[in-house]
Amino acid sequence: MSLLDDLSRRFPALLMARRNLSRNQLRSGLAVLGIIIGVFAIASLGMFGTTLRAGATDQLGDIGNEVVVSPAFSEGVTELTERDVTQIERAASGTTVVPVKQRQALVTRGDERTVATLYGMERPGALYTATDGRVPDRLRQGAVVGSGVAERFGLQAGNSITVDEQTYRIVAVLTQQDGISLVDPNNAVIVSPTDFEADGYSQVVVTAETGEAATAAADEIRDTLNGREERVTVFELSSITEGINAFFGILNAFLIGIGSISLLVAGVSILNVMLMSTVERREEIGVLRAVGVQKRDVIRMILLEAALLGFAGGVVGAVLALGAGIALNQFVIDDALATFQPVNLLYLVLAVGFGLITSVLSGLYPAWKAAGERPVDALRK
Amino acid sequence: MSLRESTKTTEPIIELRDVVKRYDTGGEVVDALKGIDFAAKPGEFVAVMGPSGSGKSTMLNVLGLLDAPTEGTVLLDGRDVTDLSDEEQTKERKRSIGFVFQNFYLIPTLTATENVEMPTLFGDDPDARERAEDLLRRVGLGDRLDHRPNELSGGQKQRVAIARALINSPRILLADEPTGNLDQKTGRSVLELFLELTEERDVAIIAVTHDPQVSKYADRTITLVDGRMQDWEMAGVTDQ
Ligand SMILES: Nc1ncnc2c1ncn2[C@@H]1O[C@H](COP(=O)(O)OP(=O)(O)OP(=O)(O)O)[C@@H](O)[C@H]1O
Ligand SMILES: [Mg+2]
Repeated sequence: MSLLDDLSRRFPALLMARRNLSRNQLRSGLAVLGIIIGVFAIASLGMFGTTLRAGATDQLGDIGNEVVVSPAFSEGVTELTERDVTQIERAASGTTVVPVKQRQALVTRGDERTVATLYGMERPGALYTATDGRVPDRLRQGAVVGSGVAERFGLQAGNSITVDEQTYRIVAVLTQQDGISLVDPNNAVIVSPTDFEADGYSQVVVTAETGEAATAAADEIRDTLNGREERVTVFELSSITEGINAFFGILNAFLIGIGSISLLVAGVSILNVMLMSTVERREEIGVLRAVGVQKRDVIRMILLEAALLGFAGGVVGAVLALGAGIALNQFVIDDALATFQPVNLLYLVLAVGFGLITSVLSGLYPAWKAAGERPVDALRK
Repeated sequence: MSLRESTKTTEPIIELRDVVKRYDTGGEVVDALKGIDFAAKPGEFVAVMGPSGSGKSTMLNVLGLLDAPTEGTVLLDGRDVTDLSDEEQTKERKRSIGFVFQNFYLIPTLTATENVEMPTLFGDDPDARERAEDLLRRVGLGDRLDHRPNELSGGQKQRVAIARALINSPRILLADEPTGNLDQKTGRSVLELFLELTEERDVAIIAVTHDPQVSKYADRTITLVDGRMQDWEMAGVTDQ
């Protein structure tokens, strides 16, 4: 308060504005409440959007960096040859290229059996990490099992399982993959591709450093392999993540739009409050003008009142929104600190700014009206 | 009276020359002032009387640069101020003219001192507070500096208003029914204050009033009837 008093001494308009607002505290309070709701709505809905996006991106993992090349079945191509793989490696330079063979297989351990996907991969280590054991650079013998299979049979590195007729020693158990992936290892067993009878590959997984690099690699692969005839189908997930990002962008704009409507309503209520209070103070303002206060000072004083309402509402609204954001992030993505990221701070600043601007704009008309009245007219009994 | 005799030779501080004020309210035209010639000198206390609707307040508004005359000239300290812009008028009001109203018009949220300071609040005036407190002491309210208007009596409010009118050391004090809301005794104390001010500060006071006791204190009384000044009283010195 002492800071406010100090400021008031220096800026008398502030003193007058504060005193005027304190005159009808209930009314001022209600006007502030409107702004609080508006600012809260904008900021919290904006942050809500960020949280949703973060949650969704989390689910997707980093598949945005993956490109999956499969045979163009529609053109009668059923498998990818070594030559195709070489061409893909050449086209997508700077990426990790993992050719994959795939079939369903019966997995047995003791009396238990299940059907799982069997992948043939020379370098599974390029795509996956292990929780138990070590994924070898080149998988020549032994098998790597996904977390789902490992859990089902209670497997550890060093155990052995039978796939179809052949028995393998397990060299590694893979970490559970949370994201969506086209080559999902959780419920799979990975062995050396030489253990497959077929020569061709069912798909080739290309992993790039970034989403953009993945997109570029996909384009390059399409150009090279599908030049004369359609050989492959290239599926890139970066386009999906882009789509998802665009969707959340629109969702955010929509949510903020809804918030803005409540702020608009708050603006109308401030307009109403300021208009009422200037009409009530008509004579006082007339006296101010009579004793030598300039029009522009009256305008300044009334705008300052509106700005104070907006500022108070904005700060309270922003604090509440921040609290709501923390709670939401804790609840949805289990990470309260995710609230404090630049986008969210931007939403907060934006919301407070909107609140302030709305209030000042709403004060313009009452200010102009009050200052424009001639003191003789205001003071006539 | 002899003291004031000497000031009679000085130039008028405010003067109206052949001032006409016409109100045109949708077809009906009212001449509130029909050719007023009037002058007041520094230190002079003039009472303006007349029946209701005769144009007293209108005349005061023209004198106070709150309203421009339809015809005629307003001279402030010899300078033609008839056609000033709103901003210049406001500046001139702040510099040269103090107002006292029947309803006091104090700002309820401000203390007595802040109310007195009020005309200076929007400018850079570092010793205004000190002057305000001095003025309040001068009008006998030294022990009410931090009181709000609702904690003051009518007479005290009018004293605060007078102090406010004096904060910028104006040459002219205009009062519209300054004693209208006060009882006889309180009114008298306000009038005595006026009288002292004319002597101490050489302020010209022009007070519109229905109250016959005002003219007892005034140097002279003019009477308006239907927008005209009555000659028979213009020359007449007040009946002491
Ligand atoms: N703004 C206005 N529009 C139209 N007519 C007006 C206006 N102001 C004053 N008048 C008219 O001018 C005349 C003089 O009014 P004024 O207020 O000066 O009277 P007054 O002598 O002060 O009366 P009172 O003693 O009742 O205060 C009146 O007839 C009034 O109706
Ligand atoms: Mg009047």
